[in-house]
Amino acid sequence: MTDKTTPKSGWLGLPPLAVGLGAVAATAVYGWLFLLAESEIAVLGLVALAALGGWALGRTGLPDTLDAAMRGHGRSMNGAILLGLLAVIFLLGEEHFPLLMLTTMLLYMTVALGLNVQFGLTGMVNFAGAAFFGMGAYTAAVLTAHSAVPPLLILVAGGVIAAAIGFLLIVPVVRTAGHYSAVVTIAFGVLFKTFLEVNDVLGGPQGLMVGPMKLFGWDFNSSPVLLGVEMSFYVNYALLGGGLAVLAFVLTQRLERSWLGLTLDSVRLDETASACFGLNVVRAKVLAFTFGNVLAGVAGALYGMMISFIAPNSFTFADSLLMVSIVLLGGLGSLWGTALAAAIVVLLPEKLQILQEYRFLLFSGLVILMLLFRPQGLLPRKVRSYFPSWRPQQ
Amino acid sequence: MDIGLLGQYLANGVMLGTMYALVAVGFTLFFGVLDVIKFSHGDVLMLGSFTGFTVYIGVLAMGIENPWLMIAVILIVSITTTAAVGALIARYLVLPLKSAPPLNILLITLMLGTAIREAVRLFYPDGSNPKNFPALLPTASVDLGGFALRADSVILVGAGIAVIIGLNLLINRTRLGLAIRAVAQDEETAKIMGINYTLIVLVTFAIGSGAAAFAGIMNGLYYNEVNFGMGLLLGLIGFSAAIIGGLGNIYGAILGGFLFAGLQTVGAVALPFASAYKDVFAFGVVIALMAWKPTGLIAERSSDRV
Amino acid sequence: MKFTENRRSFLSFALAASLSLGLAGPALAKETVKVGFIGPLSGGVSNMGLGGRNSAALAVALRNQDPNAKYEYELEPLDDECKPNVGVQVATKLATNRKVVGAVTHYCSAVAMGTVDIYHKFNLPVIVWGAVLPDITYGNDYAEVHRVNGTMINQNETAAKFMTEQGYKTWAIIHDTTDYGKGHNKYFSQFLTERGGEILGTFGVTSDQQDFTAELTKIKELNPDVVYFGGLTPIAVRIRQQMDKLGIEAQFQGVSGIKSDAYFAGLSGDLAEGTVTFLEGAPAEKLPGGEYFMAEYEKAGYGEDFEAYGPFAFAAMSLLLDGIEEVGPDRKALTAYLADVNEHNSITGSVSFDDHGQNTVALITTYVAQDGQWVVWEDSEYADGTRKLTGK
Repeated sequence: MTDKTTPKSGWLGLPPLAVGLGAVAATAVYGWLFLLAESEIAVLGLVALAALGGWALGRTGLPDTLDAAMRGHGRSMNGAILLGLLAVIFLLGEEHFPLLMLTTMLLYMTVALGLNVQFGLTGMVNFAGAAFFGMGAYTAAVLTAHSAVPPLLILVAGGVIAAAIGFLLIVPVVRTAGHYSAVVTIAFGVLFKTFLEVNDVLGGPQGLMVGPMKLFGWDFNSSPVLLGVEMSFYVNYALLGGGLAVLAFVLTQRLERSWLGLTLDSVRLDETASACFGLNVVRAKVLAFTFGNVLAGVAGALYGMMISFIAPNSFTFADSLLMVSIVLLGGLGSLWGTALAAAIVVLLPEKLQILQEYRFLLFSGLVILMLLFRPQGLLPRKVRSYFPSWRPQQ
Repeated sequence: MDIGLLGQYLANGVMLGTMYALVAVGFTLFFGVLDVIKFSHGDVLMLGSFTGFTVYIGVLAMGIENPWLMIAVILIVSITTTAAVGALIARYLVLPLKSAPPLNILLITLMLGTAIREAVRLFYPDGSNPKNFPALLPTASVDLGGFALRADSVILVGAGIAVIIGLNLLINRTRLGLAIRAVAQDEETAKIMGINYTLIVLVTFAIGSGAAAFAGIMNGLYYNEVNFGMGLLLGLIGFSAAIIGGLGNIYGAILGGFLFAGLQTVGAVALPFASAYKDVFAFGVVIALMAWKPTGLIAERSSDRV
Repeated sequence: MKFTENRRSFLSFALAASLSLGLAGPALAKETVKVGFIGPLSGGVSNMGLGGRNSAALAVALRNQDPNAKYEYELEPLDDECKPNVGVQVATKLATNRKVVGAVTHYCSAVAMGTVDIYHKFNLPVIVWGAVLPDITYGNDYAEVHRVNGTMINQNETAAKFMTEQGYKTWAIIHDTTDYGKGHNKYFSQFLTERGGEILGTFGVTSDQQDFTAELTKIKELNPDVVYFGGLTPIAVRIRQQMDKLGIEAQFQGVSGIKSDAYFAGLSGDLAEGTVTFLEGAPAEKLPGGEYFMAEYEKAGYGEDFEAYGPFAFAAMSLLLDGIEEVGPDRKALTAYLADVNEHNSITGSVSFDDHGQNTVALITTYVAQDGQWVVWEDSEYADGTRKLTGK
């Protein structure tokens, strides 16, 4: 209990770095166990363990110590998190399905980070997240089938196309506010799916095959051999997806901490006041909107290549809602919250067979409760602090 | 194109327009009194038509055969149930969030819509399959030169328009309507004048939801089919219609509803062999309209410019 | 493999310890082998999927009762919702599960087109039980993919022949824009033109479209003798319904995808009456093993009917289990076994796979809707002239 009053001394008297590294290691082991768990009992047990552990540790002041660790030893902590992710990927090694889920989660996280910049920082809600994700995937499908564009560039192309199509929406999105702006993205999300369904050139409701990712002549659909063990080819995608998610995370974090992030925040809080202080509201909105769409497009392109088959039904309004609920569940503007919520939203229903069917019902219920009783999300974003010695909070 | 065919298209358009307008009126009512968007409206509509369908099975089991009596029972039960659901939603989900950012209410009702939809799909017996809604209205038809005008379509459109006119009179000509308009204009002043604010809000939500139930049953009687997903697109279209018309204005909603139906029909006529593009066309025009008139065709009067 | 097993046992040990829950069941005398089934268990064509699943489950149950069977079989049924993207997801799930040796998959052709690559990629041998698009077997060289039911080519050839012989001259074609609907459109148009039928207009519709008044208004103007629909039951119901709304007086002709009891459940009044459709294979009661199958199905007491493709699902699953009995629970060996299937006895008649894994089912049966059920044309009151098709 002394931790509460003097958080700097660390949890259970341990130095913050040790606690931080321990927490990362524990999370990695937990993630590995969870991804491999097969029986319902095992999964439920692990979920209960996490919920109980999270609650208990939260009460003993662990979060403060973790904060201290992230602030004081940012470099070592980030390295440890990266290592933890790599360790999980390689430990899963030959397990196809868990790796597929892990990668899906990482890609959803990337999209949600982008939405977070739009919604959490700038206050522009985007109900067409799945549409921009789908644009990336369709770009990948068309380019792998009809061109010899190197697949790494296809990822970039996915982002560029998503941004370019997003530009068509700039005028209505920037001109309108609140509900009127929401209707623009909702209408666009529906339009996108309907267009794909009726348009034969892009496969119609049937969908399209997507070619595999290739990097420097290495086909991602062939299995890498490591230490004599033939790994699942999903290891390739998991590594690249992990890289993408980390990159998106770092970019978003830098953006948030920069003066640009400050501009976005002030645009969200009061557009009129921001404009009075000489901030270019339109530029801020265009920047945030495009940034989010690019992330969604790039993630979508890789997702398409990994899943190898896409159809309009994979990118519906319901999926967009799922993405928005990730942002909301994690806490508006909170990056670690987004990461946590992406894991919950993507992995939990996959793991709990009984939940599969009830997935959307469960999440809608969860978000409703969240909005009623904890509108700030699971890991709420900390308020900016402007003292000279201030170091960014995680 | 000959006259008969033109008449057919016109009839199709009017039918759709009436349904859309009924949904849009609900959106606009809610926005008027509370400045909120209740996005679960489409799914409340679906709930209304499923209630109607359940009542039909019940009535059939009780041995009532007269179609008019059946319709009356279906309408009464379904509209009152759905109106009550609407009031409950307002009381427990919308009012508590009144002081939160407006997008939170949009989100909570979006999620509620999903919850209703999924609940019907999972818990209604065989809910994931479309249900065969009975054709209770007379199906006699008059052939006017290649254009079949059916009695049931005429009755449905007539009833729909009557409901819209009735709602309009209710808002503009009665004491209740006066109270609703007072709350819509200024909550504080209305309260000071002795209007029971909470009650008026609940009643408005009940009225809007009842109108949605009516539209749901109308939809069921017209297509002879109800399914758990029908509310999503109808809600979306109704919302778009209310938005392009201009939120908070009942004429705007009607205008928007018929405009959207018109767009779809024109889309279908102009692109005869690609008529599937009609929704793409209609939503595309909605987005373009939003860029041109960011607060709808009949714009809201208030403005927060400084 | 060794490594994985060790890790698994460690995992279950850790969990058993931490949850204090014993995971060990009673010792089994036989090794348990998992087989999969994929079909549409929910959504508009779920009755077909459920009928197929019950039939496959019946084959597994009968095998487990057999004391001579070498293995204990466990069926893993999965739902593809008749949507390609969902199908690919569940197929990946099934194919990446190392415990699953083989599977009986798909009623919807659109789904099967998306998943065959997955089966090939993960070397999972599958037997298709209901999807009819030729390309599923002929569009690739995958050794893993087989099919016991016939393709839509013969079906449409018979359809074109039958309908022109009835004296119909002009057609309007509506098809859904999945590979399934497009396939029907392609083959039917081809055979119809060869026989001198005239196609006045072709309309593609999406597979979840609700309102068809725009297309049908156009069709009304074209005034064809017959409206041909290439797609599945839910849309067929809507189109037939709305044809009546617009006062279109034309014969309605479907494909194997609408031969389902749901067609009657969805249509009010006597709108279904007189609809014709075509299905490969003989009706269950006329199949060689039909009586046995129907009696066992009855005995098992399933809630749903086995529908048009139930016997095929039963035959496919039985064939798969025969293979596992013969060569053991190994994917590669099973694939090799299936490649050589020739004149294999089944309730649908003898099964022989050609070099694409396709069984030949030459017989096509014509059905007509009469008094709320599908009646074989030759036995119907339409054939003997008591009733007449529209416009005749």
